[in-house]
Amino acid sequence: MLNRNAEALFWMGRYMERAENHARLIDVHYHLQAEHELGLERSPDHLERIDSSTKWMRIVEALGSRSNYEEQYGAFTEIDVLLYMTLDWGNENSIVSCVSHARGNLRTLREKVPSELWDSLNGFYLWLRECQPDDLLRESPHTFFGRIKDWAALFLGLCQSVMPRENEWHFIECGRYLERAENTLRILKSTISAACSEGWSHAASYPYLQAVLKSVSGHQAFRRYYADGIAIEAIFEFVILNAVFPRSVQFSLHSLDEHLRLIELQDKTLRTQHDRMIRQVGKVKADLACLEQDDFMLLDSNAVLVNHLFDATQQLGVAFAKTFFRLGEASA
Amino acid sequence: MFDSQEFGLLWERNEYIEVKYRSCIMEEAIAMSRANPSGSFYYDSQSYYDEMFTHDFSVRPHYNSVYSLFAHMPASKLAARQQALHQRMIEEGITFTLYSPNQQEPLERTIPFDYIPRVIPKVEWDLIDRGVRQRIQALNAFVHDIYHGQRMVRDGLIPRKMILSNMYFRPEMVGLEIPANVYITASGIDLIRDENGQYYVLEDNLRTPSGFSYLFKGRTLMSELFHDIYLSSSVQSIERSINCFLSSLRALAPNGKKDPLIVLLTPGSYNAAYYEHTFLAQQMGIHLVEGRDLVYQDHKIYVRDLRGLRQVDVIYRRIDDPYLDPLAFHPDSLLGVPGLMNAYRAGNVAIANAPGTGVADDKAVYAYVPDMIRYYLGEEPVLHNVPTYILARKDEREYALAHLNELVVKETSLSGGYGMLIGPSATSEEIRAFSTAIQRDPSRYIAQTTMKLSRAPVMINGVMSPRHIDLRVFALMGAETHVIPGGLTRVAMKEGSLVVNSSQGGGVKDTWVLNDE
Repeated sequence: MLNRNAEALFWMGRYMERAENHARLIDVHYHLQAEHELGLERSPDHLERIDSSTKWMRIVEALGSRSNYEEQYGAFTEIDVLLYMTLDWGNENSIVSCVSHARGNLRTLREKVPSELWDSLNGFYLWLRECQPDDLLRESPHTFFGRIKDWAALFLGLCQSVMPRENEWHFIECGRYLERAENTLRILKSTISAACSEGWSHAASYPYLQAVLKSVSGHQAFRRYYADGIAIEAIFEFVILNAVFPRSVQFSLHSLDEHLRLIELQDKTLRTQHDRMIRQVGKVKADLACLEQDDFMLLDSNAVLVNHLFDATQQLGVAFAKTFFRLGEASA
Repeated sequence: MFDSQEFGLLWERNEYIEVKYRSCIMEEAIAMSRANPSGSFYYDSQSYYDEMFTHDFSVRPHYNSVYSLFAHMPASKLAARQQALHQRMIEEGITFTLYSPNQQEPLERTIPFDYIPRVIPKVEWDLIDRGVRQRIQALNAFVHDIYHGQRMVRDGLIPRKMILSNMYFRPEMVGLEIPANVYITASGIDLIRDENGQYYVLEDNLRTPSGFSYLFKGRTLMSELFHDIYLSSSVQSIERSINCFLSSLRALAPNGKKDPLIVLLTPGSYNAAYYEHTFLAQQMGIHLVEGRDLVYQDHKIYVRDLRGLRQVDVIYRRIDDPYLDPLAFHPDSLLGVPGLMNAYRAGNVAIANAPGTGVADDKAVYAYVPDMIRYYLGEEPVLHNVPTYILARKDEREYALAHLNELVVKETSLSGGYGMLIGPSATSEEIRAFSTAIQRDPSRYIAQTTMKLSRAPVMINGVMSPRHIDLRVFALMGAETHVIPGGLTRVAMKEGSLVVNSSQGGGVKDTWVLNDE
């Protein structure tokens, strides 16, 4: 396989995962009630700061593109944010851009992967390309995002059932899981910043915390482990550390590790690099394995932890590029 | 054969309304012909209280935003959303099962869900919330008293006969101390409104009330498919309520065990309310079990699973008392767990609701609830009963006998509309027969004022039309009591009908409690 192919597979995995994550996140947060539902203490200066635009700002922030948005649109309004996040070609991370990038990558690989993959991803792309802002709101955003999740699930299901378990498959999965870990951490980051800047009381943050869990489809699983104790610390612990919940940071990193190890390489220099990469993932896993209960007890320490993990995943992304994609045309 | 509250269709117990109001239907039919044809609603000027409109057809202030959004939504858009709503209910299997003898495959029906929400202003809700809390607290104290000393009976406030002859009285519960002293973990209090909009309690459901899943699912569907309307109103969230439900169950764990194993005991997938059982178990993250999944050993209850036997701490049961334990109750029941009552009496497992709570939701006992509130809490009732005459009392009996043609008389030991007299529509022979029967054995009967059920608009083919409604308010009692904001509004979907039963075309509405006035 060419490096270029490996890169394309990796990024296809990432972009599809990103599109799905964004759809989940927007869908759940869209249906959150306005801010006063949080029952925040209403001091006069709070009242100014917390209005309906806060909700939209948080969504954009959770996707990590606040400054880019502000440059283009300025104020945070419902319709602008929805468009920006889904159908705006100018936004590198809008859902339509992600799907288009994924398709662009797959296009360079068409002869190397089963044709069903192309058919489904192309179908997704063609449908989304035709969507108009009106479509988004006409039925309901929930229906619209539901469809996006369906398309993403169809593509993932096809990959699962027809891809040979060779390097191609492992690269896609590496991209998917790295992206997933990063996305989950990004949501947690924005939760911390919201909690700190708005001074959440314990009970008041409930709907938002519930939404955080829902956006990673974790609210039902969470109840099984933590029963009725919904607290920000417990949620962080669950979303970061749970070993069997497939959208947790722990699970994502373990899956990443697993697929990374299964990549088979001939070239000796590449193998050395590959081993280093595996060790790098190992270090992040070790960080997770050595956490103490206390590390989740305070919002401040959670912020340190989440920031650390987030940086680590970003570095893994860089390491991936260095290891596999920038070595000229040597074959992987 | 089974108790209708659980084993029939979801709300089998409102024959009451149906029969009581039959006499009004004729008047209504006449009034309908004079209906107001203007605008997008079809309304007559009946003397019922309407939730959305005042007598002169102006919109009540708390309905303003809902009304204007619906009134301005194009018919095509409404139709599309109605379609999406129905589709979602089918896909998610939000159905109840109808069994009929001449059908091979039982019918799975979605419950008619009307998308115009019922809106309750905060000040009204605060009253309901207070009233329901008070009522549940008094009822719980009453059940405890009945099984410990019967103070209220000894003080002469309620006839002993009424307790001992009550089919829901469980001698097994006498003297038993139960976890956290909570008998009535989950309850559903049915409220109606009269022509002045005053709320009354119609009945208390203290055994295994159902309807939770429709309440939660209804809210999800509304917030997702009618997001614009939902988000434009400031509605009290029910997100917390599932958590409170779980907290109430956890609070029952014997010996304050920290991480109790909780199960929902269902009669199985043939039960009409099975969807609700799966929904609650999934949402609370508890195990859904049938009787055959549980075993009794050494005064404890265990669940069989792949890891072997695990001890069960709390059982939220959705089967009725007589089927809980064939050793204690019905010997031929296959639904329960042999030995369960032994484990319960040994204090090794909690059952929610406790066996024997039915003693407090009986028709005759209902009449004494206001007295219970005064007796146990020293308070005046916040929510009133439908005015009820206890015919064992001389002056009330005399009044009732003189006004039988205006009252509804019910025989307390019977339900399902049997043994009832509907004064306004009865013949003089029927009235005479009841009059004799009452004088012979007055304690067998109660009499009630005929109530005019309030109405709310439902959307039928793009037209708002009035239908009669009631409201089931759910309370969850644990370490603290939680009343789910809003509850479930049940609608008689047939024009003029007063039957809110799901089996007879009754439907539901999402119920919104507003945050602000």
